[in-house]
Amino acid sequence: MRAVSPAPRSGLGMIVRRRILNATAYSLLILAIIVICFPLAWMFSVSVRPNVEVMKMPPDWIPQVFTLEAYEKILTTPRYLRVFVNSMSIALVVTAMSLFLGTLAAYALARFDFIGHRSVMMFLITTQMFPLVLLCIPYFRIFVALGLYDTLTALVIVYLTFTLPFCILMLRSYFLNIPRDIEEAATVDGCSRVGAIFRMLVPMSWPAFIGAGLYTFLLSWNEFLFAVVLIESWSNRVLTMAIYSLLAEFVTDWDTMMAFSVLASLPLVVAFILLQKYMVQGMTAGALTA
Amino acid sequence: MPSAGTTSRSAPRGGSALPKSGAIPLYRRSYRQEILAYSFLWPSLLILAALFVYPLVEVVRLSLHESNLSREVWVGLANYTALLSDAFFWNTFLNTVIFTAGSVILHLFIGLSLALLLNTKINQLFRSVSRGILIVPWLLAPTVAGMIWVLMLEPFGVFNSLLALLGLVDASSSIAWLGDSSTALGSVTAMNVWRAFPFFMVMLLAGLQSVPQQLYEAAKIDGATMWEEFRYITLPELRSVITTVVLLDSIWTFRAFDPVFVMTGGGPSHSSEVLATAIYFDGFQKLKFGYASAEAMVMLVCLFIVSAIYLKRSMGNDR
Repeated sequence: MRAVSPAPRSGLGMIVRRRILNATAYSLLILAIIVICFPLAWMFSVSVRPNVEVMKMPPDWIPQVFTLEAYEKILTTPRYLRVFVNSMSIALVVTAMSLFLGTLAAYALARFDFIGHRSVMMFLITTQMFPLVLLCIPYFRIFVALGLYDTLTALVIVYLTFTLPFCILMLRSYFLNIPRDIEEAATVDGCSRVGAIFRMLVPMSWPAFIGAGLYTFLLSWNEFLFAVVLIESWSNRVLTMAIYSLLAEFVTDWDTMMAFSVLASLPLVVAFILLQKYMVQGMTAGALTA
Repeated sequence: MPSAGTTSRSAPRGGSALPKSGAIPLYRRSYRQEILAYSFLWPSLLILAALFVYPLVEVVRLSLHESNLSREVWVGLANYTALLSDAFFWNTFLNTVIFTAGSVILHLFIGLSLALLLNTKINQLFRSVSRGILIVPWLLAPTVAGMIWVLMLEPFGVFNSLLALLGLVDASSSIAWLGDSSTALGSVTAMNVWRAFPFFMVMLLAGLQSVPQQLYEAAKIDGATMWEEFRYITLPELRSVITTVVLLDSIWTFRAFDPVFVMTGGGPSHSSEVLATAIYFDGFQKLKFGYASAEAMVMLVCLFIVSAIYLKRSMGNDR
């Protein structure tokens, strides 16, 4: 580094310099927000205009007619409502299963030094980089053979391929920071080992559970590939697939599709706003738990 | 912390679980640890083995057969030789590399720029609100994000109007961004850049916030310029986070299916086909399961090479 140290800069110069830098930072950030939010704003704006207005050239930047008919259409069509129920139940079941199984496995990996520890860790990390499309071919054939093709059960099972290793790794890294004396004290007090995990360790790790739980929910809610491969009928479709089907079925029904997209994104965005801190922890931990 | 079985790296830096040497018990009396550990691990291990190991064996087996839904014939390596001499396959492979490289480079550039901006001395509230807003694209399903972009990139869509408004194209022009083989792959890449840059932004911001402030203070005293601070302090301090996110993003983008499938379906005339969509179409539309399995194996090998680098980095710190 250059070791030139002239006389300290004059105070006024520093203040002006900082002001300019600050103003640049604010304006660049605001510009970035405008550019990046434009597609989101457009999604919302199209969802509240009648479909005839969507493809007008040049487009109206602000909807000329404000209407909620696209939302009404979704909320009054049973088969559309069904996909919300499907996605929600799958995401909730997958999240619960991953967190429960993940707690037990993470406990073992955080607390015991056993033969195979390294291999298990390596296996878990590798699964997160596995090409999921490779798994689709055997999964399709297996689930057809088992008679589980086109069932929500099949989706719950296969979603564990990416949610369970993530939950294990994230919870493990959190458990490592919690002193083991705590469960040991509980065991001395007459708690079973499993009791100690669920009465002491789990409540103490609640930020990790919120983070991992939210991220798991997001992954299952947004999943598309397995749903396309394993689900056929409308009654078993999930959100992502339903939105895609709208493109295939009614090429021009953009307002419905965008209303669908808004409704599909809303739960995640709301959850994120409320729990931003834990979600960010979940994101960062997801990539760096290793 | 009493000796936990192993130590690990849980945060890019400055995490509280930094490796401590000598934390691993050196001797054992019995197999008590193993029995206890596996009594907790077996449900997860059993599920994951069923979900990964058996399918992998099945794909290897299928890739050596000519197979459709009704019959299977052993063909040896014929699928692989057919694949490697297929110009379509190499075109797909090249597209995947372009898609991955373009996405990762732009993710890094945009993510780092925004992280640096968010790390300047701006108002706390403004910082967290901006970060919150800028993360939203990453929360959307790739399917939803893809659909928004399909709508915007329609010939009569809003993107062309925006370009006309900025004076970049003629007002009457209606470019079919996704319908033209010269722009389709680029358009999908642009969507993917928009969708996934927040991951880099968040990770790099976390990295930036853990750079010790004294380093910058020392540099100020030495009269370093902003560029010098960035070049000689920020970048070296961020190197490990950058490597990690670049490796992970390369893996995730290389195997990505949703963006291409929903936006172009690989078209027009395979100009935006990537490996994941090619495997899907060969397997589930042409019902050439053997050929698709061979393609999947090629993808696995490519991913394995990158994963090996990542594993080496992350497991290397585990002892």
